[in-house]
Amino acid sequence: MGNYKVEVLIENKPKLRDPEGETIHKELLLKGGYNMVKEVRTGKMIRIVLEAENGLEAENLVRKLCDELRIYNPLVSSLRIKLVEAS
Amino acid sequence: METLRLKLSLTDEEIRKLSEMLGREPNTLELLMVDAEWSEHCSYKSSKPLLKGFLTEGERVILGPGYDAGVLDLGNSYILTIHIESHNHPSAIDPYGGAATGIGGVVRDILSMGTRPIALLDVLRFGRIDKSNHSKWLFKNVIKGIADYGNCIGVPTIAGEIEFDECFERNCLVDVVCLGLGKRENLTLSLAQDEGDSIILVGGRTGRDGIKGASFASKTLADEEDRSVVQIPDPFTKKLLIEATLEAVATGRVKGLKDLGGGGLSCALSEVADKGNSGLIINLDKIPLREEDMNEIEIMLSESQERMLFVVEKGYEYEIGKIFEKYGLNFSVIGKVCKDGYLNLKNKERLVSRIPVKILANAPIIYRESKEPPLKEFENIEKPSLDLDWNKVLKRLLSNPSIASKAWVYEQYDHEVGVRTVIKPGFSDASVLRIPHGKFIAVKADGNSKHCNLDPYNGSAGILSEACRNVICVGAEPMAFVDHMQFGDPGNPEVFWYFSQAVKGMADYSKHLNIPCVGGKVSFYNEDEVTKKAIKPSPIACVIGLIEREEQIKRIEANYNDSIFLLGITKDEMGGSEYYEFIHNLVGGLCPKVNFEFDKTLFKALKEAIKKDLVKSLHDLSKGGLAIALAELCIFNNRGIKVNLDSLPRKTNRVDEILFSESHSRFLIIPRKGRIKELKNLFEEKGIPFVRIGKVYGEELDIFFQGRNLIKLGLDDLLKPYHESIPKIMGDLE
Repeated sequence: MGNYKVEVLIENKPKLRDPEGETIHKELLLKGGYNMVKEVRTGKMIRIVLEAENGLEAENLVRKLCDELRIYNPLVSSLRIKLVEAS
Repeated sequence: METLRLKLSLTDEEIRKLSEMLGREPNTLELLMVDAEWSEHCSYKSSKPLLKGFLTEGERVILGPGYDAGVLDLGNSYILTIHIESHNHPSAIDPYGGAATGIGGVVRDILSMGTRPIALLDVLRFGRIDKSNHSKWLFKNVIKGIADYGNCIGVPTIAGEIEFDECFERNCLVDVVCLGLGKRENLTLSLAQDEGDSIILVGGRTGRDGIKGASFASKTLADEEDRSVVQIPDPFTKKLLIEATLEAVATGRVKGLKDLGGGGLSCALSEVADKGNSGLIINLDKIPLREEDMNEIEIMLSESQERMLFVVEKGYEYEIGKIFEKYGLNFSVIGKVCKDGYLNLKNKERLVSRIPVKILANAPIIYRESKEPPLKEFENIEKPSLDLDWNKVLKRLLSNPSIASKAWVYEQYDHEVGVRTVIKPGFSDASVLRIPHGKFIAVKADGNSKHCNLDPYNGSAGILSEACRNVICVGAEPMAFVDHMQFGDPGNPEVFWYFSQAVKGMADYSKHLNIPCVGGKVSFYNEDEVTKKAIKPSPIACVIGLIEREEQIKRIEANYNDSIFLLGITKDEMGGSEYYEFIHNLVGGLCPKVNFEFDKTLFKALKEAIKKDLVKSLHDLSKGGLAIALAELCIFNNRGIKVNLDSLPRKTNRVDEILFSESHSRFLIIPRKGRIKELKNLFEEKGIPFVRIGKVYGEELDIFFQGRNLIKLGLDDLLKPYHESIPKIMGDLE
């Protein structure tokens, strides 16, 4: 058993709009002169430290808890889970 | 073709009729447009004949049902607009986005009359949050969706109503009412009349979201595949759209306005042409798209949010376009008004569809079969034992989420933005808003699914009566109402019977009391996708009242030694009561009946009493009956009450019925000091029962009846269950 740090990234599914990202893009970045910016997407990041047998189990556990406890709505958002640290 | 047909809501008979009317076979695009337009959601094909029973005209009514919103005359050239919408199915699968886009939709309806949205109300129905995690998840996210969206666009949520019942476990109801304020000269209708006027599409780009949404709402919630219909709310664009629209309307060059909601462009275009008895030529290649490879069907049926259709006087496109440009909104002249009565759709000069707008916008009426369910057997049930600790019962009822404080909900809303709110949610029976020229409006929405389940006629009439009583409680005179009828599958004869009875009950009441209906919605196919059971019938009424002078505004005020009177008669009417259903899990008994004639006399008398300033405070008796109303009086004022119910006007002697019956048309009244005699005379002359039952006294609620001290509870014992119930259930309080 060890401690693992896992990051969860929740964002709107790629085909769905992200009005917050669009607003930052249009109202802040383009108006601020950063014309090279082509797209902005926002999301929510959750960092979880948990105890698990190994990295894979840590990731699976995090996916399970996100699904079970409805931390995101699978119909609207996509979930990316990434192991960032093992100790 | 076969797979397409499976996806349609249209019946084979309707497809046959369509071909007959067209004199040819429709192409796929046309079939899908008609599918959306002829859905229950857009066409009211099952409900139209029944809805004609409502009173729709009145002294203050400028426009009744049939437009994007009802319009009322406030005097001094000001108008008030009101509309109700639901977003039940989208909220059941995506509570956050579904509820938010529900507000987005109703706000656009108000905007499309050329008026500024000034307030929102929401009427919500969920499963038992005290028992189900799924309902808790829906509840939490619907509230968050409403709060985030409403707060972002700067429109306060000023009132609402929430009920919890197992039947809403997987089919929650999310109704939103929006009020708008404007000048009469800026009133804009949703029609395209004059040849040559330009059709301009403004706001969000057209994308693939929500495609088939209108037909989706007209089917029961089904499989996973249907779930690509979620719509993404965009309050940032909405705020710009509100300001740009109002600025454009003020130029006087906008001749028609229509919001894009269910059925997308297809519905909006055919409806403006139908109302204006005109035709349209639309160039699909001029529509700003979010994704390049969208086909004609997707373009016409997309339900992308935050779009408005403008009919602009020929020659002023540039001037109006400048306004949209200033706000950074996308816009495009997509076509023009013609006179041929057809919706002509072109794609790069190629005609892809030409269909008469009258056919598209007017679905053939369906006359549904109706069959009365065996409700009589529910009337004679064995009444529960009277050997109970009434203190415990009252505490449990106060913690019932349908009765307990909803502060957890409305504290998430910004209810004061716009500085119009005079009485905030949770402090009175209705909310009060300031309007120009020193006047005020009161507004309240009500529903009671449990009553309607046992007796849809009286339950539905009772809802309108209760909403009227609630606005009277703050000193207003009921002016008009909007309704929303929510039921299961209308193809089920018993469901349709419920629907027709509920419409009839509310319509009869509206005619008898002379309170016009200025708009409404019908939502069918609300049923549980697992149990296949329809929701309990859920009509809703939202009443608007007018208060002419500030001094007439009433609050629930009680000071020490104030006398407390009860107005009205308490009867054995426990059917659908919170006491039977929440405490005993008992469905049955006699549903409360409204006496139309009594209400008429009563409302007149109350109007006079308020005008003459004979009344200090009024509180309506509703869910939980007399005991809950007394407890609320204690809770709102943080003072005790001592009452003796021996002389209570009643037609029952059972303790439970006296305490918890939900008989209609009863009020707790605190008369103005020194005016008691006058008030008594006023009611007595009109034969209205009105007796003193006690006074504001001490630090506890003390209820005596025939020598027994039925209830004796300290303020803390009342406050705790009432205030802590919902926060505890939601895990915000240990």
